[in-house]
Amino acid sequence: MTVPALLGLPSWEFFKPFIVTGLALGGVYAVSGVGMVVLYQTTGVLNLAFGAVGAMGAFIAWELNNNTSLPDWIGYLACIGFGGVVTLLYGVAFGPPLAGRDALTKAVATLGLALILLGAMSWIWTDKARSLDLPTTNSGFEVGGVMVNWTQVIAVGFGVVMTVVTIVFLRHTRTGTAMRALADDREITATLGVPVRRVEASAWLVSGLVSGAAGLLLANLVGLDAATLTFLVISALAATLIARLSSVALTLAAGFIVGLVNAMVTPILSISQYRDMTPFVLATIALLWVSRKDIRVTGLR
Amino acid sequence: MSLDRPARIHAGVIVALLAFLVLALPSMLSAYWVDVTTSVVIYAVVALGLGLLMGRVGLVSLGQIAILGLGAWVAARLTYATSLPYPIVLLLAGAMSAVLGTLVGLPALRLSGLFLALITLMLAGAITVVLTTTQFPNGGPGFLGHTDSSLGSNAIRRPAVASSDTGYFRYTTLVAVLMFGVVVLHLRSKAGRAWAAIRQSEASALAAGVNITRYKLWALALASFITGIAGGLLAGSVGKLYIVQFPISGNILLLAAVLMGGIYTLWGAVAAGLLIKLLPALLDNWGLPPDLLTILFGVGILQVLITAPEGIAVQLPRDLGRLAGLLSRPFQRNQAAREEAP
Repeated sequence: MTVPALLGLPSWEFFKPFIVTGLALGGVYAVSGVGMVVLYQTTGVLNLAFGAVGAMGAFIAWELNNNTSLPDWIGYLACIGFGGVVTLLYGVAFGPPLAGRDALTKAVATLGLALILLGAMSWIWTDKARSLDLPTTNSGFEVGGVMVNWTQVIAVGFGVVMTVVTIVFLRHTRTGTAMRALADDREITATLGVPVRRVEASAWLVSGLVSGAAGLLLANLVGLDAATLTFLVISALAATLIARLSSVALTLAAGFIVGLVNAMVTPILSISQYRDMTPFVLATIALLWVSRKDIRVTGLR
Repeated sequence: MSLDRPARIHAGVIVALLAFLVLALPSMLSAYWVDVTTSVVIYAVVALGLGLLMGRVGLVSLGQIAILGLGAWVAARLTYATSLPYPIVLLLAGAMSAVLGTLVGLPALRLSGLFLALITLMLAGAITVVLTTTQFPNGGPGFLGHTDSSLGSNAIRRPAVASSDTGYFRYTTLVAVLMFGVVVLHLRSKAGRAWAAIRQSEASALAAGVNITRYKLWALALASFITGIAGGLLAGSVGKLYIVQFPISGNILLLAAVLMGGIYTLWGAVAAGLLIKLLPALLDNWGLPPDLLTILFGVGILQVLITAPEGIAVQLPRDLGRLAGLLSRPFQRNQAAREEAP
């Protein structure tokens, strides 16, 4: 017998489709993670409402596409726009009063926003099963005997492109430099004449737009369910923790790892039921690994 | 006992309240409201554990509901497997939770603040996945003790002295009072002073000779123990346990309720219990959707963090006091005027 068979592993053929699902989810986790890291470094806020904002956007898209005669793309734009507007409003309203508090307080405050959105979602859109299909989900192509749809391709591409754009943006633009400066030292940056509020607002807006787009993709890849989408933020969070909440490039890699491991466990029957533990376990290991040394979040890279 | 006057009044109020709660209240309520009151008491104990961690030691845990589920699992398993008396079952459930809580807490010694909160959320997620897969014991065979057939399953047994709903309510209240007593004793002893020092500043606590590692672990163990006992009480109260009673969002709702109730006084735990269990029952009674509660708790978190860090238990009496002062001011002014007059 071969080694995999001895371990009770199914043959390679069974894993193939899960690589595709894993990569697609990983792409969305990565882009969510990048959005969270940039916001955390710029404003000091770890936005735990990231998933809830995207989920609500997806429900709004579903509402517009199913109960109005507007063309579908308006629904999709509304989803992304909703993410940007709500996150920006939260940042402008609650960022300054909490600016002087510690990181934990700021993160807990975003849980308040998450609860408000979660309650509103399950109130307006009751637990009836819904699905939101992007037109790209219905067409695709075959690679090595595995069907790949265009939404999955977009998810992977979005993750990679957004990460690269973010890295370039942070290094080569004025606002990006200001963001890196804020990550290093808020007080000194303010003294140097950087418009702190404006730079922070732009971080809130962009990270909000990303949360809307991520919500739209996840509603397609995972399903349109308020609680599930809200708590998928934990998977993205796992990716950011592996990257120590500082490196954008590492977040991309970690996002793909979380997505892939989660999906690849599925065909291994003995542990398949426990696959949802993947992000928690990976993040816990990452936190413990990081805490070997004095945990200090380094600047934005 | 040498208590000064305010302390005596305080103690008198508590004794009177308890007497009313245990003797008079159950006969005034229907079976449904006795049930609700029982769960208010149980969740007040859960809130006591989290309030202790947050208010006294300055540690934030986002995994208390998962530990509650674990305590309930252990208690349920023991009631089916053994004929141990219920207090022993509760103690074992508490002890198992304390062991796990301490293990979870080990990284807390290195991590602080945000990262500790996140790791407890992660571990809560992991425990929830395990409990979802194993399901809760219902009298089935094997180690997990779960059967899918409705024939093999029967309700979790209650203590012999408290088999009726009213009896169980009294039993629960008694255990809850014991838990509050344990915490009060801790706060008045060396441990309480050490925790206060740690919360103020770890550096100065260390300088003052406080063993930070030991007292942090002790706080985590105590809070988990209390939560495990509450889990055991919950198991007997509901008879059948399901994972939907311990959702991940429950951890966040609990945090919200505890913050809103107030983390700097033990009354805050009582207020949190009322918020998390009585309020949904009232909403249901008034025909309002339960989602309103989630929204309210979300608003509550923001409100507490920005304007009122002390919570309802401190805020409400103070506001009432201010209101009373405001109302009585015209009279006082008249009196002052009269006294000034020759």
